[in-house]
Amino acid sequence: MQNNDSSRREFLLTGLLATMATVGCSDAHPFTPEDPIEPSGEKVKLLSVDGQIIEVDKAFLKPVPDMPPVSIDESRIGIAGKKFVMVIDLSRCKNTKKCQASCNHMHQIHSEQNWMKVYEMQESEQTAPYWQPTNCMHCDEPPCVKVCPVDATFKREDGIVLIDNERCVGCRFCMAACPYSARVFNWEPSDFKLEGVQKAYSPENSIPQKMGTVSKCDFCPDRHREGKLPYCVDACPNGVFFFGDMNEDSVTNGAETFRFSELIKDKAGYRLMEDLGTKPRVYYLPPVNRNFPFESGLETENATDKKVTH
Amino acid sequence: MKWKKNKILPAVALLIILMVPFCTEAQKNAEKKTVSFGISYWMNNNRAVYIIANAKSKVDGKFQPDAGVKVSIYLDKDSSANLIGKYITDAHGLAKAIIPPSLQSVWNASPKHTFLAKTEEDKFYESADAEISISKSKILLDTVSDGEKKSVTVSVSAFNGTTWMPVSGVEMKVGVSRSVGSILAVSDKDAYTTDSTGKATIEITKAKFPGDEKGNIVLVARVDENEQLGNLIIEKTVPWGTAVTPDNSFFDQRALWATRFRTPIWLLVMAYSIVIGVWGTIIYLIMLLLKIKKLGMAEA
Amino acid sequence: MEKSTSLTTEKIILDLLPQQFGRRGKIWTGILISICLLGAFAYYRQLRYGLQVTNMRDYASWGIYISNFVFFVAISLVGSLITAVFRLADVKWATPLTRIAEIIAVSAIVFASLIIIVDMGRPERFYNLFLHGRIQSPIMWDVIVITTYFCISLLLLYMPLLPDLKILLRFKESAGSGKWLQKLYKFQGSFWKGTKAQFALSERAITILCIAIIPVAFSIHTVTSWLFATTYRPGWDSTNFGAYFISGAFLVGAGGVVVAMYMFRRFYHLDKYITELHFDKMGRIVVLLSLLYLYFNINEYMVPAFKMKKAEEGHLNELFTGDYALMFWFAIITGLIVPIIVLLFKKGRKPLPMFVIGIMVVVGAWFKRYLIVTPTLLNPFLPMQEVPANYHHYFPSWEEWSIAMGTLAGALLVITFFARIYPIIPIQETLTEQHEMEEK
Repeated sequence: MQNNDSSRREFLLTGLLATMATVGCSDAHPFTPEDPIEPSGEKVKLLSVDGQIIEVDKAFLKPVPDMPPVSIDESRIGIAGKKFVMVIDLSRCKNTKKCQASCNHMHQIHSEQNWMKVYEMQESEQTAPYWQPTNCMHCDEPPCVKVCPVDATFKREDGIVLIDNERCVGCRFCMAACPYSARVFNWEPSDFKLEGVQKAYSPENSIPQKMGTVSKCDFCPDRHREGKLPYCVDACPNGVFFFGDMNEDSVTNGAETFRFSELIKDKAGYRLMEDLGTKPRVYYLPPVNRNFPFESGLETENATDKKVTH
Repeated sequence: MKWKKNKILPAVALLIILMVPFCTEAQKNAEKKTVSFGISYWMNNNRAVYIIANAKSKVDGKFQPDAGVKVSIYLDKDSSANLIGKYITDAHGLAKAIIPPSLQSVWNASPKHTFLAKTEEDKFYESADAEISISKSKILLDTVSDGEKKSVTVSVSAFNGTTWMPVSGVEMKVGVSRSVGSILAVSDKDAYTTDSTGKATIEITKAKFPGDEKGNIVLVARVDENEQLGNLIIEKTVPWGTAVTPDNSFFDQRALWATRFRTPIWLLVMAYSIVIGVWGTIIYLIMLLLKIKKLGMAEA
Repeated sequence: MEKSTSLTTEKIILDLLPQQFGRRGKIWTGILISICLLGAFAYYRQLRYGLQVTNMRDYASWGIYISNFVFFVAISLVGSLITAVFRLADVKWATPLTRIAEIIAVSAIVFASLIIIVDMGRPERFYNLFLHGRIQSPIMWDVIVITTYFCISLLLLYMPLLPDLKILLRFKESAGSGKWLQKLYKFQGSFWKGTKAQFALSERAITILCIAIIPVAFSIHTVTSWLFATTYRPGWDSTNFGAYFISGAFLVGAGGVVVAMYMFRRFYHLDKYITELHFDKMGRIVVLLSLLYLYFNINEYMVPAFKMKKAEEGHLNELFTGDYALMFWFAIITGLIVPIIVLLFKKGRKPLPMFVIGIMVVVGAWFKRYLIVTPTLLNPFLPMQEVPANYHHYFPSWEEWSIAMGTLAGALLVITFFARIYPIIPIQETLTEQHEMEEK
């Protein structure tokens, strides 16, 4: 780990030189210090903008680096130097459920279940109703991890709580312990229609869903390794979700980027069920000055989700 | 599964009903997909130039990337002499091309170029093509640090065949490079436009950006999909941030939520002392039992 | 004098030796075996198709397997009560009941561990508990403490059995035992010669066992209560839970012993050994335990109901007046209130009413465990939304019922076979007491 880390630093510090040779390791983003790409040693000649011939290592030329899924041991440690955090802006949520659809599809979740739920919330009769997207809170004091008898669910350095579905014994104690009802159990075999080539299982990509084990939102660390935002963040048309790194003090929904600390300060961010002491890594911005009236979300509710019962 | 037995008959009926749409379904599959095809020009830090072709198509009203589409990319002319290369799109529907040294003369012949991308018709896809024209350009990022005041100047220029001319009205984002390609604004704005001298100057009004362990941050200026210039990125590492050492002490501590290798000491002491105490007693009892047995055997 | 004593001794031994199954015994065993087989078939289906054969879903993620587990752990506590507590307190009248209590404890704890495996989504990965076990998890505590309790209970069953094994070997012909039973007795107890030294050692071992089993028994049920109390959920998040579970466990255990006493007395014709006096004394104990359990129940429901915190409100309303009201009041009234009232009267402590009350206590306790597990899970902090309608309710599927009933039948079967093979009332200890009484 130490070694890896220092090589990462070196990569970062050699700065300009490195970036010049790095012909964009991912689309739109040439600089992903969290994913040092190992030079293959094989050089490729190419033409620079002023017509000169330059040599570049072949490994840097792929549009998206082909990262094999990380091993289970690696995925227990996490992405070095990161402290992932999510901010959900309730004033922007219109209950379009695009987050949910994208998450369900990409994680091959059983059609009756969701990792991402958009709750119709109303604290009391006289208070205003609002839509509350809720996924795993990736708590810093995770009650689910506390009770796991076999280390199948674990907390990583980068703050993410993951599940090793190849170790989980299916006792469901974690589901009882989670106050946010974030966890689902694979009661039935997956009814997801598989297409194309399947990735190998890793706790980071969480697919395929494994019968008889517990699963939940994983904050998409596999996407992060590819330089991409989690599926829900990407899919939301209203920019409700901000994802980022506390160490960088920055969160982004793709279109906008904010300093995390300022955003939380300016908009009075809060966390769910603070009194339980779970210390979630998901923050909420209150539903004030809303972009959409609450009622506009009811249309999707009626149109798309026939399964919903209240 | 208990419903399976009583539902054999309906299931058979259902199967027959399903056969009908299945035939049409099969026909639909035989229909080739029309690919929505795009091409874009990228330049990083004034050095390498590359082309990304992007293939996607609508499935159930949503765009999905098309992997495995065969793409040929040409420089200026659709002829084998001008072929940049043949590619196959990856899982994200992307194919990336670099200009090979063999096309040096073509590239140097003109300050403006057109990239052509064509997909061949095959079993699954209709043929499609796309093209993009760009001018050769340069983007520069200069920094000025006058003690307290810090500013960034980004200048954009295009090649007219003989010299580099400033380009005005180029929109760009300027800020601190953050993960997943995001750019964190350094002043109240994050989007800027070049003036008549082809320059945009940004005064850094926000302070204390967390950097790496030495306080380095990466400033970045990015031009997205400019009609004339394509996508341009320039970066510069400056020691203007605050040093941040990732703190993993929370992860390394012994806690109830930690792994079994980091069990809290108090818990270990409690658990083991109880277990040893009780099992010590059990072992003593078994020894007593063996003693009884021995006595009995001796008697016999 | 000498002669008459030896004659009585002979009579006692002959009365108490295990007997072959009669017609009723065969029918009883047959019924139990069929229920077990049905349970086994249901479990085969569960292994094959996974937990989808149950009606548990994401909200009600634990169901009757877990409530059955709690029930088994609860009833197994009685071994420590009757055997250990009474023995240490020198309560002589309880001697004939010790073995009944111990075998209930052993068979219940065996099936408690079995049903926890049944509840697992991946039982084939059970070994992970040993390979990757985390001592932070209350499940690991439960695994450790159940294993320990099982070992101690087994020793406590075995030690006092040694002198009886000698008697069984001596009375080969009248024991109604085949060759293989004799071999079993020989294997288990041929080394027991009944010498003074052996008696001294065994007496010492039994005393140590009786002391050791009490904290372990308290642990097993306290830890089981912590499986719930270590979560945040309304109805479980209670500091009262350990004591509440233990008092309930003693009650259901005592009820179980009363039922077993009646059955053995009736079908093994043990009227002279399990007398009305025993029922009367057990009746008093059941009243005492009921009152204790009632006290903890009032604590458990009255205090949160007084405050009616938002999270507790839905849960408590559902129990008091909502979906579970019928079951809740049934469990409280038949399992607690009626036993207290009936057993306060001397007539209520006669064998037959005691038997009926014992059954009521046990059945009420079973439903009480169901009420502890399920309604809480169906009252989560965030509203139940975006799930199919069947996720909102829980009623066990036939597979769950069969497996749960199968384990109950299995426990009864173990007890039945035990009584067939070994004397259910300790012969040697009865003889010793007889002698002591006569000497007085």
